[in-house]
Amino acid sequence: MTPESSIVLAAVVLPFLVAGLTPLLYRALGERVGYAGAAVAALCFGLLATQYGTEGVVEVAWIPSLEIALQFYVDGWGLLFASLASGIGTLIFLYSPSYMHGETGLARFYTALLAFMGSIVGVALAANLIAIFVFWELTSLCSFVLIGHHTGDADSQYAARMAMFVTVGGGLFLLVGFLLLSIVAGDVLGPAAAFDLTAMLENTDAMESGLRERGYFLPVLGLLAIGAGTKSAQVPVHFWLPNAMAAPTPVSAFLHSATMVKVGVYFLGRVRPLLVGVEWLLLFATVGLATMTVCALLAVAATDIKELLAYSTASHLGLMVAGFGFTSIYGAETGVFHLLNHALFKAALFLIAGIVAHEAGSRKLSELGGLRRDLPITAAMTVVVALSMGGIPPFNGFYSKELLFEAALEASHYHDIGALGWIYPAVAVFGSIFTVLYSLRFLSLFFGERPDELGEVHRPAIPLVAAPAVLTVLAAVVSVDPELAVRAAVQSGVDATAVDPHEMHVGLPTEYSTPVGMSAVAIVGGLVAYPFYDRLHAGIRAVPRGLPPSSPSWWYGSLVDVLPRAGAGLAARVHNGLLRTYATWTLAATAAFALAGFAATGMISATGLGIEIPIAVALVLVVAVAAGLAVALSETHVAGVLTLSILGFMVAIFYILASAPDLALTQLVVETLVLLIFLLVIEEIPEFDESLGRTARDAVLSVAVGATVFVTVLVATDSRPGATTDVARYYATRAVPEGGGTNIVNVTLVDFRGFDTLGELAVVALAAISILTLIVMRSGHGADPGTESGTEATDGGDDE
Amino acid sequence: MTGVILAGVIGALFALGTFLLLRRDLIRVVWGLAIISQAANVYLLAMGGIAEGTAETVPVLEGHGHEIHVPMAVADPLVQALVLTAIVIGFGMTAFALVLSYRVYEEHGTLDVSKLGDRE
Repeated sequence: MTPESSIVLAAVVLPFLVAGLTPLLYRALGERVGYAGAAVAALCFGLLATQYGTEGVVEVAWIPSLEIALQFYVDGWGLLFASLASGIGTLIFLYSPSYMHGETGLARFYTALLAFMGSIVGVALAANLIAIFVFWELTSLCSFVLIGHHTGDADSQYAARMAMFVTVGGGLFLLVGFLLLSIVAGDVLGPAAAFDLTAMLENTDAMESGLRERGYFLPVLGLLAIGAGTKSAQVPVHFWLPNAMAAPTPVSAFLHSATMVKVGVYFLGRVRPLLVGVEWLLLFATVGLATMTVCALLAVAATDIKELLAYSTASHLGLMVAGFGFTSIYGAETGVFHLLNHALFKAALFLIAGIVAHEAGSRKLSELGGLRRDLPITAAMTVVVALSMGGIPPFNGFYSKELLFEAALEASHYHDIGALGWIYPAVAVFGSIFTVLYSLRFLSLFFGERPDELGEVHRPAIPLVAAPAVLTVLAAVVSVDPELAVRAAVQSGVDATAVDPHEMHVGLPTEYSTPVGMSAVAIVGGLVAYPFYDRLHAGIRAVPRGLPPSSPSWWYGSLVDVLPRAGAGLAARVHNGLLRTYATWTLAATAAFALAGFAATGMISATGLGIEIPIAVALVLVVAVAAGLAVALSETHVAGVLTLSILGFMVAIFYILASAPDLALTQLVVETLVLLIFLLVIEEIPEFDESLGRTARDAVLSVAVGATVFVTVLVATDSRPGATTDVARYYATRAVPEGGGTNIVNVTLVDFRGFDTLGELAVVALAAISILTLIVMRSGHGADPGTESGTEATDGGDDE
Repeated sequence: MTGVILAGVIGALFALGTFLLLRRDLIRVVWGLAIISQAANVYLLAMGGIAEGTAETVPVLEGHGHEIHVPMAVADPLVQALVLTAIVIGFGMTAFALVLSYRVYEEHGTLDVSKLGDRE
């Protein structure tokens, strides 16, 4: 079945459209605008649901004259991700009005949230690389606005900038990767498919050999990995995600756990069939497992419930990346299934954290406990989703984690990777022990002793509980019947991301196997270590304090400190308000680049000059240079002006000798006028004693510029053809028949290129008006009659 | 070899213009601009080739009506049209720069560019 183009387009455009209208809606509806957002998200979800089971490309003409079409590719994997975004979006919009009650800037908040949802649907369905990049960066921009929601709060601003810097910066790497891909695709698949990801995925073998032949395979892999890794908070750039928790909790639940941070993972799944291989395995399995373990450790070190969940999110993203990194079919199954599972349980956990923070008034782990009596429904939900996060059977997180263990074990069967064959599974188990630990710690918020200092805890409003409840029920359904989820959504996602897909089965283990043993070790390890939680917590926290460079945020902080200072230092040197500084840098750089360009292309070889000039012309020009020298050496303004005029008249004679009578006439008129204006002006201003302080330096630069021009004239005029060019011939032969005049230059100016001359006249008229303004409009002072007559002369000159 | 003279002349004019552009006296800076634009015009015209001037090379055709003969040796009219535009624009620029300098002197009482800038 092929998808319906109008429906797909509507699902992408609708959120942006309503986002544009949100400020108006906010005036009409006030805080209830959130429910309008929920309706839009639900409508999007419904539209996407009608496309369930379809697969194919949808094209919308974008710039038909350039044959650029906006392409969307609909398949199980894209639909799964887009539906997660709109489905969870619906719940977030339902939750937000209660949570954000009484906050300011709500119009902006909902606008950004809706635009974000549209971007995610766009990135999930776009098939054109440029469209993917645009939607990709739009999600980062919306995330920036939403993290910085509390505009008065410095921490919030810092976190927003950090997230922007990392994710948008990573997106630029992605863009370079896309361009390399498109170069190869343009060669291998034809120019029409240069930016068409679908075509690339249909011809993976041709693309891979094309990439390897040109040596682009590793660069593309690396660039896409940086793009995806920054977006999905992989080690070593995971640090932006916990900081992003400065955002309001609904944003954290939506962007920073369920959708935006998964864009990287989603995209890895998308390009997996294209780039999969042993390099892919080594890169993504290593990065993913490192992220999973490091962030699980950091989650144990967290003191704030949202911080714990943030590190846990990064850790689970690492799990998904590692899953996709393993090249076997289990790898694809891990990635797709865990993407779904994690979206369900982690969004619910964030919403629960929001309830706790909202009702108990604290987010500190040390200040919270025993909340099951105050929040019984929330506590029941937490049992399901926290144990799911820990990967404890029979909850849904367990199934995807089993698949990861399976994929890690299988890795050595597919590739000869030596010791990594057992290091990967060992690291996966080690990281999982800490996953169990922090999941239990989160659960302990609701159990054990209630601290005395904890004040009264309110009952949460219905919408606050309803949203996580829906997610919890879904997580529970997947827990009870994982095959249902596989049939409904996961299988089609695996088909799109695996190299050779086959039917997927998951379920509770009925007999012992190695992955079961690994799960048992992780769970038992976590339970045994739990009594020592506080000691582990303190131990991990001590590391970055003792050794700051061990934490990436230290590096980020140093970089962010150094850049503005270096920038200010550079600006003070280059941009110091002095004309000569600007002239020096500009001219020196131009000369250097021009000479380097000639040298690089091997142009500097004076083999036979194409241009010869008559002796008379040469003599006149030498006199012009002598006049120029006199201008430079003149001690008074009057002497300079007069010698400048000699130069101008010499150039006029040059024009006569070069068979250009019109130029000579114009030059004579202009030179006369310039002489008059100069004389009028210098009469008004004093002589200037030009000290010879920096003459040497200026002379060096002048000689450099002169030499560059000399070389340019020699090499660039070299290839001049002997006869007149076709264009010149065209004007010469058409002047009389089409322009009705025998003076070719005049006909060209006023007829063939009439609009250019109009533009020129506009420039001169503008200069005349500016001159008039500068002279006449001087606060309160009258104009000098002498210079004004000069201005009139200027106006007269325009008629030329 | 005369091509080298042409290149040398244009190079020398650019060098002199640059030297003047770096002076502290604003009037001399304007002269520098004027010289550089003159040199650029000469270069532009030279790009079209410079032949010994004769009645044939001037791009004004003889006679009227339909019997128009276009000599092969006619100088390139295109560069001439370009340079003509450039001369007029260069004049506008020079005049504007000069009056701007005059206004600067009126406002600040100095023509020393090192005393202008943003640290007043």
